[in-house]
Amino acid sequence: MSVVKNDSKSSQWYLPGILTGLGITAKHLVKNLFNKKEMITINYPEQKHEYSPRFKGNHILTVKKDGSLRCTACMLCATNCPAECITIHASEHPDASVEKFPISYEIDMLRCVFCGFCEEACPVDAIRLGPEWQTPGVNGANFNYDIKHLAYRANLKGGIQSVVDDVERHKSGI
Amino acid sequence: MSEIITENKTEKKMLNCKINGVALFVKEGSTIIQAMYENQQKIAHYCWHPGLSIAGVCRLCMVEVTGNPRLQIACNTQVIEGMDINNTSAKVIEATKWGLDFHLINHPLDCPVCDQAGECGLQDQYMEFGQYNSEMAEPKTKKHKVVDLGPTVVLDSERCILCSRCVRFTDEVSKTNELGIFNRGDHAEIGTHAGKKLDNKYSLNTVDICPVGALTSKDFRFRQRAWYLKDAETICNGCSTGCSTKVYFNKEGLFRVKPKHNAAVNGYWMCDEGRNTYKFVNKESRLLKSYQFKNNSWGFESMAGAATRNLINIFKTAKADEMALVLTGQQTVEEYEAIVSFFADHLKSKNIFHWNNNESTVNDFDGLLIRGDKNPNTKGLLQVLSKHQISTKWTDLENQLASGKIKNLVVVGPENISVYNDLELKLNLFSKAEHLIYLSSASLPQWENIKTLKYVTVIPLKTYIEKSGTFINYAGLAQKFNKVTTVVSEALTVSEFAQLAKGEELKIEYVVSENLMTSEHQRADQVVLEHRKKNEFVFNRGQF
Repeated sequence: MSVVKNDSKSSQWYLPGILTGLGITAKHLVKNLFNKKEMITINYPEQKHEYSPRFKGNHILTVKKDGSLRCTACMLCATNCPAECITIHASEHPDASVEKFPISYEIDMLRCVFCGFCEEACPVDAIRLGPEWQTPGVNGANFNYDIKHLAYRANLKGGIQSVVDDVERHKSGI
Repeated sequence: MSEIITENKTEKKMLNCKINGVALFVKEGSTIIQAMYENQQKIAHYCWHPGLSIAGVCRLCMVEVTGNPRLQIACNTQVIEGMDINNTSAKVIEATKWGLDFHLINHPLDCPVCDQAGECGLQDQYMEFGQYNSEMAEPKTKKHKVVDLGPTVVLDSERCILCSRCVRFTDEVSKTNELGIFNRGDHAEIGTHAGKKLDNKYSLNTVDICPVGALTSKDFRFRQRAWYLKDAETICNGCSTGCSTKVYFNKEGLFRVKPKHNAAVNGYWMCDEGRNTYKFVNKESRLLKSYQFKNNSWGFESMAGAATRNLINIFKTAKADEMALVLTGQQTVEEYEAIVSFFADHLKSKNIFHWNNNESTVNDFDGLLIRGDKNPNTKGLLQVLSKHQISTKWTDLENQLASGKIKNLVVVGPENISVYNDLELKLNLFSKAEHLIYLSSASLPQWENIKTLKYVTVIPLKTYIEKSGTFINYAGLAQKFNKVTTVVSEALTVSEFAQLAKGEELKIEYVVSENLMTSEHQRADQVVLEHRKKNEFVFNRGQF
């Protein structure tokens, strides 16, 4: 970046510039007063902005049709995570066709940089970054989100279903 | 083991041959794959293993021999004089590629849940030769998953490529014949004979030699992904055989032990018992701090070094015949030398005793690797003791403790306490001493059961993983090993204990910053380039 200096005579007249600026402010003030619907600013936190569903916000662990966790504990998200904020402990599943599942899955939200690499690494669409973007908390709040929060928090209404289904994959011969 | 046998045979004629344009000098009778393996040439293979017989079933080790219109398998073709072999031509690569596709026809591709992922033969060869979409349109054959083969091994027949390495292992090495291949065609699968379990003392070797994730170890299953672990070479301290091993570890501790090829000792194998020797190294079973038992209660927690310094006065003032030292066969030769010379030369005490936990089984041998002497360094201890002309009997110690002649007793306790069945009995005996100084790497819950304790100081020791040294095995072979990693940093080695007890300061090695990057100053657990290459995915992230 370079600095461009304007040393011309006209630039020494500052008053017209200031008046132009004030004019713009006044124009918007009047416009917003009489046309509140098209106002850009919102009254946060009473009003909240709706981001697109593709926004990379808080993580969601998806579930299978029966409501159990889709994650297979392959650790690819934890491996791919640049902030190293994902901790998974795997265990043997009683169902042989499932074989491996996470008994604990924790994301340290204060470390997370919301890059979405975990989502990209996941082979079974088990983790997604959802549109939720507000994560406030007072002193001592727990930002180590566990399975209960990541998959079954109240606003997910019983869990988001994964698009990768093992039963259907097996039926199609994979 | 087979390698030892071939070496013992009479001198063989050497043959000239050319592999991939490199002129080689090869022993007569060796196969092409052996010649390539010994000369560090790369060749894809699944069924061939240097320690097993030739099966020739995977058809992956294809080579082109000049003068022969068809490709040959390298594992079952012997080298003849003037042979010109290559495995890098387009024809060979094409053959390997489609051979691999046949292996993958019914492979379930469940790498995400497979323990072998990261060290899998199929993944390696696919990255090398494959990278195509499968030509198969038919659905995959379903087979049994998570089959409980025995107390140590789990089978997944879908992942199996029927290389028959495990079957040949149970036939030829362990000679227990539990495994076999059942059914025909694409329904063929590995299994055990009716009513039998894969239950022998070497069963986990089948997991090591399985090139895919068909056989997995119950102990290691799902505990870590392979790429999170670093490996380092060491010597097994499970028994007096002293197999060369590799331990796999990360900052959370140690996770598994695998054999490393050593023709002079263990060949390619190791026993299942030796694979448990990582467990007593991990923090959960370790003594972390020094404690004192005084006035009928355990208390006064302190650091190991400080606790040893507090003992200096005792060593200075006590009479030589009031002191005694008890040693087990679990420490290194260097440590024995340090502590025995401290007692014999510095304190002028000849009361040094050998705690032998398995006198009756010392010479037991199962014919392959396992020996009855469960200490890695009994020979080393005996050598050091005879060097200092110490010949004492265990009954002397018992008598002297009973009569109250020995006031201060130093015991260097065992690391692997699971093989010390007489531990509680011996602790009861030691507790007769007025002041018992017990050096141990393991935390002992047995102290609770001993009612006759008077005054005890326990001091944490380092295990064989955390120090460099030498073990002398049953045959008198001295094997040096290096420190792998540190688990309990505040623990002492026996040499350090002897040094502190003398009143000397510990020499702490430090490195000038200019020398920091040179190879001789590298930390034992430093990630070196080799590991980086192996874990390319982790370390190169962000560069693509």
